[in-house]
Amino acid sequence: MSLLHIKDLHLGFKTLTGQADVLHGIDLDIAEGEKVALVGESGSGKSVTARIVLGLLQETRTARITGKVQFDGQDINAMSARNRAALRGTEMSMIFQDPTSSLNPMFTIGNQFTEVLRRRDPKLSKSASHTRATALLDEVAIPDPDRVLGAYPFQMSGGMNQRVMIAMALANKPKLLLADEPGTALDVSVQAQTLTMMRDMVTQNGTSVLFISHNLGVVREFADRVYVIYRGKIVEDGPTDALFSNPQHAYTRALMSAVPRITGVGLPEVPEFSDDFLAPRVRHGEASS
Amino acid sequence: MIRTLRILAANPLSLLGLVLVCLITLAAIFAPWIAPFPTHNGAVVDFLNNNRAPSTRNWMGTDLVGRDIFSRILFAYQISLTLGVVVLAIAVPIGTMIGLLAGYIGGWLEMILMRIVDVFLSIPPLVLAIAMMGVLEPTLTNAMLAVTAMWWPWYARLVYSIARGEREEGYVLAAEVIGAGAGHIAFREILPNCLPAIITKMTLDMGFVIIIASSLSFLGLGVQPPTADLGSMVAEGARYLPDSWWLTVFPGLAILIAVFGFNLLGDGLRDVLGVDE
Amino acid sequence: MSGIFRLLLNRLGISLIVLVGVSMLIFAIARIIPGDPARIALGPNANAEQIANLRAEMHLDAPLTLQYGHFVADVLRGDLGTSLYTNRPVTQDIAQFLPATLELVFLAGLIMVAVGLPLGILAARHRGRWPDNLVRVIALLTVSAPGFVWAVILMLLFAFYLPLFPIAGRISDVYEIERTTGFLIIDTLLVGNWAAFGSAVHHLILPAIALSLSGIGQAARLTRANMVETYDKPYIEMAQAFGFFPSRIARSYAFKPSLIPSLTIIGLDFAAMLGNAFLVEAVFAWPGLSRYGVAVILRKDLNAIMGTVLIIAITFLIVNIIVDLLIAFLNPRIRYSTRGSS
Repeated sequence: MSLLHIKDLHLGFKTLTGQADVLHGIDLDIAEGEKVALVGESGSGKSVTARIVLGLLQETRTARITGKVQFDGQDINAMSARNRAALRGTEMSMIFQDPTSSLNPMFTIGNQFTEVLRRRDPKLSKSASHTRATALLDEVAIPDPDRVLGAYPFQMSGGMNQRVMIAMALANKPKLLLADEPGTALDVSVQAQTLTMMRDMVTQNGTSVLFISHNLGVVREFADRVYVIYRGKIVEDGPTDALFSNPQHAYTRALMSAVPRITGVGLPEVPEFSDDFLAPRVRHGEASS
Repeated sequence: MIRTLRILAANPLSLLGLVLVCLITLAAIFAPWIAPFPTHNGAVVDFLNNNRAPSTRNWMGTDLVGRDIFSRILFAYQISLTLGVVVLAIAVPIGTMIGLLAGYIGGWLEMILMRIVDVFLSIPPLVLAIAMMGVLEPTLTNAMLAVTAMWWPWYARLVYSIARGEREEGYVLAAEVIGAGAGHIAFREILPNCLPAIITKMTLDMGFVIIIASSLSFLGLGVQPPTADLGSMVAEGARYLPDSWWLTVFPGLAILIAVFGFNLLGDGLRDVLGVDE
Repeated sequence: MSGIFRLLLNRLGISLIVLVGVSMLIFAIARIIPGDPARIALGPNANAEQIANLRAEMHLDAPLTLQYGHFVADVLRGDLGTSLYTNRPVTQDIAQFLPATLELVFLAGLIMVAVGLPLGILAARHRGRWPDNLVRVIALLTVSAPGFVWAVILMLLFAFYLPLFPIAGRISDVYEIERTTGFLIIDTLLVGNWAAFGSAVHHLILPAIALSLSGIGQAARLTRANMVETYDKPYIEMAQAFGFFPSRIARSYAFKPSLIPSLTIIGLDFAAMLGNAFLVEAVFAWPGLSRYGVAVILRKDLNAIMGTVLIIAITFLIVNIIVDLLIAFLNPRIRYSTRGSS
C-alpha cells in the first residue's frame, strides 16, 4: 500500500465571475521510502498539489477541492482542520524555495528549532531542545551548531539556511517530506550540494519525498520515479530511468529538449502550446496504484 | 473611470461613502435653495424662537439667537468643502512638484528639500496651523493659508517615496537611455505612477482638512461669526450642555458624517486603485 | 548593542538638524505677523516709549538674521522670554501646564495601543470576513471626527446622562496635593493619598478616551494592513506547514514583524495627540498646555506662542527617538547590524 495515494484530484478557485480550474484529475502515488518528483512549468499546478497534501489549501475559502488524498490510510480532505494541522510538522513537513525568507527573521534559529521539536514533543525543555538541535545540525554538516542556533536567519548564508531548513524538516522524522523547488533561490553549486545531502538523509531515514521542480536535471539526480504535469493534468509518469531514456509524450520531450545542461539553471524554454501536449497520459512500466 | 466607479459601487461601504459625498456636495452647492431659512447664514436674530429643541419647524432646533441649525449646517458645509478644495488645489501641486524634484533628481536637492519637509512634519499639523493662526488674523483666507502651509509636506513625502522607487525601475532607465529629458521622465513617466496614491490621499484628506478647519474654528481661530461654521457652532453650544444638546450634537454629527463619507470613499478607492496603506 | 548606540547617535543628529529647522520655522511664523509685534503685544493704549522699549527688548530693530541669532541664543540658555499674558517666564508657564497635557496624552496613547492593536490583529486574522468589515467601519468612524466632537459626545453620554465620570477638571476640589512632578497621578502616589489618586484617574479617563479614539482607528487599520502583508510572507507558510497553531502564528509570526512598521505611525499618532489635546482639553476644562496656548494665541503673546510650539516639537522629536529605539530593540535586523541605521 502506498503512503500517499491521490486519486482524481480536482481543484478550482471561486472567482467573482465563476470558477477557475487549476487541477483536472490528478492521480499520483508514493510508496513508503520512495522519492517521487512532480515536474512541470510554473502554473502547471504542482505547487498547489503539495499544498493540498499538506492540508493548507483546504483552509482557503475560495478553493474547491474534490477527489481523494489518502495519507497513511487517512483521507486528508475528509479530516477536520485540527487533525490536518496535527499531521503537519510531525508526520509530514515541507522545504521551501527560498530558505532565508522562509525562516522567521524575528527569532533565532534555536528558537525556531525548539518550536519545531515541540510539535512532536510539546513538553520538551529548552536545554533538551538545544541538545537535539545541535545533533541535528551536526547531521547536516553544519560546523558550529552553537553559533548557528544563536543566530538570526539574515546573519547566515543561503546555503547555511538551507541546511537548517533540511534539518528542521527532518527533525521529527516525518513519513513524508514535501520539497517545493528546494534551493532554487541558491547558487547552483550550493543547491546541488544541499540536494545531495538531502537525498542521502531521506534515503537513510526511509522518508518518502514528493519533490516538486521545473528542473529535469535536478530531478534525474534525485527521484526514483517522475510525474510530468501539464496544465493541471499528469501527462506522463514512470521510473526515472525509463522516462528519461524513452520519453513518450510530446510535452515531456519538449521539456527535455529545453534543458541543455544537466545542471540547467532557470526556467526551461518550452513552447507556449502545442496540440500534441494534450495527448493522453503515458505510463511507463507497471502502472503503480 | 467608469470601470473604477463600477467596481467601487460593488462594495456597499464604498457606495455609502460615494452617496454621502455626493449628497453633502449637492447640499452645500444648493444650500441657498434647500435651506428652510436661507437668511440664517448671517447675522439674523429671532429671539422669539431662540434656543428651541428640534421640532417640525426647526428639524435640528435653533441656536441662542433663534437661527435654524439645519440651515446653518448646510451653509457651513459650503465653507468646509470650499476650504478643502482650495487647500488641496494649492497644496497637492506644490507637494507633488517638490516630491518629484527630490525623488527623481536626487543629490543635494533631495537632501535639502526632504529636510525641509521633515521640519514641517515634525510639528503636529494642528499645532502648526494653530501657531500660524495665532499670528494671523482669524479669517477664512488665513485659515486656508495656514492649513495649506501644513499640508503640502505630506504630499511631498508621498510622491518622493514613490518617485525614489520608480527612479530605479527599468522603464525609467530605458527612457533615460533613449535620451528623454528630465522633465519628460518626471511628468510623463513617474508622475502617472504616483496618481493613484495621490487621488486616494486627496479623497481621504478632504475629510482631514474638514477636521482641521473645524478644529481651528472650534478654538476661535478660523472663520468668524456670524458666518456659519461647524467648529464654531460646536464651540458655542458646548457651554450649554447638556440642556441645549442640539446646539452641539447636530453640528458635531454633521462633521462626523461628512468626514466619514470621504473616508469610506477614499478607503474604497485605495482598494480599487491598489494603493498601499 | 553597538547597532542601537549608532542608531541613537544617528537619530540624535538628524533630530538636531530638524530642531534647527523647527526653530527657523517658528521664528519665521512669528515674523510673518502683519504690523509691529511690539504694538500688537502691548495693545492700542501703549505709548511710543513703551513700544520702543519692548522693540529693543525683542531686538526688533536688528536685522532678521541677528534677531534669529538672539532667539536661538536665548533658547539655548533656556530662556523663552516673558509671557506678556501672565508676566512670568514662558518656561515657568510651560512647566506648570505641560504635565497635565502629557498625562492626558500618555494615557490616551496607552488606550490607543491597548485597543487599536488587538482590533487590527482581529481584523487581519479574519480578513475578508465580518470581523474585518466591522473593524473597518469602527476604525473609519473613529477617525472621522475631531477630538472635540468625541469629547462632547462622550461627555454628554457618560458624564451627563449616565453620570459615571466627572464633567471637568483634573481632580476633585477637596484634595490639596503638593505638586512635586506636576503629574497628579504620580504626585498623589508620592504623598500616599489613594483617594486622591483615584479621583485623578477618574477625571483622566473620559478625556483620555476622547483623545485616543481617532488614534485607535489609525492603529487598528495600520496593524491590519501590515499584518495582512506579513501573512503573505514565506515564513508564515512555513509556520503553517509545520502545523503551528493559528493563534501562535498570528502572535509570533504575523504580529511581531508587522508591529515594526506600525510603531512608526503610532509615534506620529502620538504627536497628533499633542495637537488634538488642545481640542479635548478645551471641552473638559483640562488645565493643560492648550488652555494656556489658546489664551496666549488670542492675545498674540509671541514669546509664549513660540515657546509652546517649540516645546511641543521637542516632545514630538523625543517621542520619535524613543519609537526608533524601540523599533531597533524589537528588530534583530537593526539590533545586530554593524552599519547602525536601517
